[in-house]
Amino acid sequence: MATDSLKDSLNLNLKANYADVHKALHNVLGNESLSKNTFKLIIERGHLNFRAGQCVNLGLPNSAINREYSTYSGEKENELEFLIREVEDGDVSPALRKLNRGDTIEIDGAYGLFTLPESKPEDRSYVFVATGTGIAPFHCFIRSISNLDYTILHGTRLNEENYEIGHYAEDSYIHCVSKEKGGNFEGRVTDYLRQNPQGAEKHYYLCGNRNMANEVYDILREQKVSGSNIITEVFF
Amino acid sequence: MKVAISYPPILNRFGQKAMVSQNRNVQFFQKPTYLLPVVQGQAATWLEQLGHQVLWDDGNSQLKSYRRWSDDLVRENPDVIVFESTTPVMKFYWSTIVELKNRLPESIFIMTGYHSMRRPEETLSKSPTDLVLRSNHIDFVLAKLIPFIAKEPNWRETCEIEGLVIRMKNGNTRDTGHFRQVEPLEKSPLVDRDLVQWKNYAKENGNFLQTPGTYASSVIRDCMFGKCTFCRYNGGDLTFSMLPVEKSLNEYERLVNDYGTKEIFDDSGVWYRGREAREFAQGIIDRGLHKKGCYFGFNTRFEYLDEKTIALLAKANFRFILIGLEAADDETLARLKKGYQIQHVERCLSWMTKYGLHPHLTIMVGYYWQTQEQLDQTVSFVKDLMLRGLARTLQVTLCTPLDFTEYHEECIREGVLLTRNYDDHDMSKLIVKTPIPHDSYYLAVRQMYSIAFHPQFILRQLKFLFSFRKRDWQFLFTYGLRAIRRVRQHIFNLTREQGKSDNKLEPAHAD
Repeated sequence: MATDSLKDSLNLNLKANYADVHKALHNVLGNESLSKNTFKLIIERGHLNFRAGQCVNLGLPNSAINREYSTYSGEKENELEFLIREVEDGDVSPALRKLNRGDTIEIDGAYGLFTLPESKPEDRSYVFVATGTGIAPFHCFIRSISNLDYTILHGTRLNEENYEIGHYAEDSYIHCVSKEKGGNFEGRVTDYLRQNPQGAEKHYYLCGNRNMANEVYDILREQKVSGSNIITEVFF
Repeated sequence: MKVAISYPPILNRFGQKAMVSQNRNVQFFQKPTYLLPVVQGQAATWLEQLGHQVLWDDGNSQLKSYRRWSDDLVRENPDVIVFESTTPVMKFYWSTIVELKNRLPESIFIMTGYHSMRRPEETLSKSPTDLVLRSNHIDFVLAKLIPFIAKEPNWRETCEIEGLVIRMKNGNTRDTGHFRQVEPLEKSPLVDRDLVQWKNYAKENGNFLQTPGTYASSVIRDCMFGKCTFCRYNGGDLTFSMLPVEKSLNEYERLVNDYGTKEIFDDSGVWYRGREAREFAQGIIDRGLHKKGCYFGFNTRFEYLDEKTIALLAKANFRFILIGLEAADDETLARLKKGYQIQHVERCLSWMTKYGLHPHLTIMVGYYWQTQEQLDQTVSFVKDLMLRGLARTLQVTLCTPLDFTEYHEECIREGVLLTRNYDDHDMSKLIVKTPIPHDSYYLAVRQMYSIAFHPQFILRQLKFLFSFRKRDWQFLFTYGLRAIRRVRQHIFNLTREQGKSDNKLEPAHAD
């Protein structure tokens, strides 16, 4: 039955290993502004283990408030990176933006199952659909697993939000810009997908806001993509 | 079509009724607690709006005996009957469906819920269930499925709606693939309170300080965090969906102004946080609902709400905040993937009590790794929080693997599950091998519930009276008496296996 393939495609790795859940203070190594509202926080790796696509909870020391952020850097990289949008009136992100080298941050994690199959992930073709900083887990996939066959459809409002475009394979990154001219496509990712079906046999991972996830799901189903090949993680 | 959304009354050998408790787990209680099944309520409302005849058939809240419930259902002769599964009542449901299918051979039986969604083939093989709905979005799927069945006689062979496992005419089963993980909750109608006979759920709920109380349509389905291993709202097949603030506010306005509710609880796995939480609280204030004498409450997590947000929630007349502590040692929190740090608990609670909220702690004991030292740590931490007034009420449960959650799978894999009888998963006894005798955990349950009778705890409640908040006076004089009765019931339920052998259950196998 399809349940087995679903389990496989979702990679329900239920092996509990509490040693992988890590809580510690980490040193901040850098904080780079990537656009008006978005920045990349670089943090000492320490002993944190994670699988590409997982998230951790980040919080300022002793603030007693944390939020989940997907890892942006690869599984094997020496430093941890997080791609963060500063939320106006947010509880955590404005404080994270003010962090500088030498500051510390609380990390708790890693958590989550929004991951690629553990066995031979490179045997499949993927379409990663993201809005804004929802691209973070996909960047992590690509930095973690070589020879991945993928296309990223990245929807942003502004042209400047094509964060670190050079990290993606040429022709694999489609930047859809909705509020100004620029990118590879003028319009939303949903418009792009309607006009450019990516193939019913591919595996689709969606990450970002829920309205995008809903609309993309409808489009993919109309394009005869099986529900078992669509995996979603919403941010808000 | 005529659709019954049905909950049979289920009694155990002690004459206790199966009732839905925290996170829609089933526990057996003598004193009733009736929780409105909100998503099913939305499904019923939607189906009625689509022109179907809906029978809201909760035999528990309608105080029916099993025989009367089943006879009434047979008399109604619905085209479709929808049940909700969870592990401890699976055997009951399978035998009930066998019985009802004999009496209602033309009716279509649909099983929903978190047990069968993870083991659909099991329910189809153990009972003549026609269809297992694997999606948690029961309202969205039924709103598509019922009209399809109504117009398509060959629906078993042709239905392509995602997230179903269907028994076909030839007896084989057909899986329509993974369900849609995110749904636009704003499209699901708010619960029709009259249709679901809301008053049946308005009084018998231990968490209501004032009545009539009710449950709001959940703003988050299922959980925004969704990583805790013991919780059914966790898994790679699930994410969360969110209801817009404005729509939820509209419901609260209607519940307060038109229905006169005095307490509204939102049972979302976790409620809004950050900007949405503040927008909601401000919306309550802007609409003047905070001055109507109605308290509001929700579930949250440690480290989700900051002081500014809590202050605004208090101003908006929020009161009851249910928050999962689970345990007080780092190893257990890490194993459970709770995602918060024990050193911040006190601060989070102090913000809540500072502004007059009533934090309610949920704690579990009996994890298969839990040592005496870890257990003692939890008991003493909880006692300290309660005696210092940082939490106002608590609820202790025996950690029970259910619904093939991550914790359930882990117990099977580690070979620590002591039973393969689903009836034993009713949270009335420990069913996992543990490093110390089970009696130690039962004793811990007694110790934590007994905090309610500690002179220092009572003195603390008296001190709260000097804040001259109405809710604190109600807490002591109204809720206090009711709580004492319920504490005695909880102690009986959770410790009646004390003194019996740990290993009398049939060992389970990983298959």
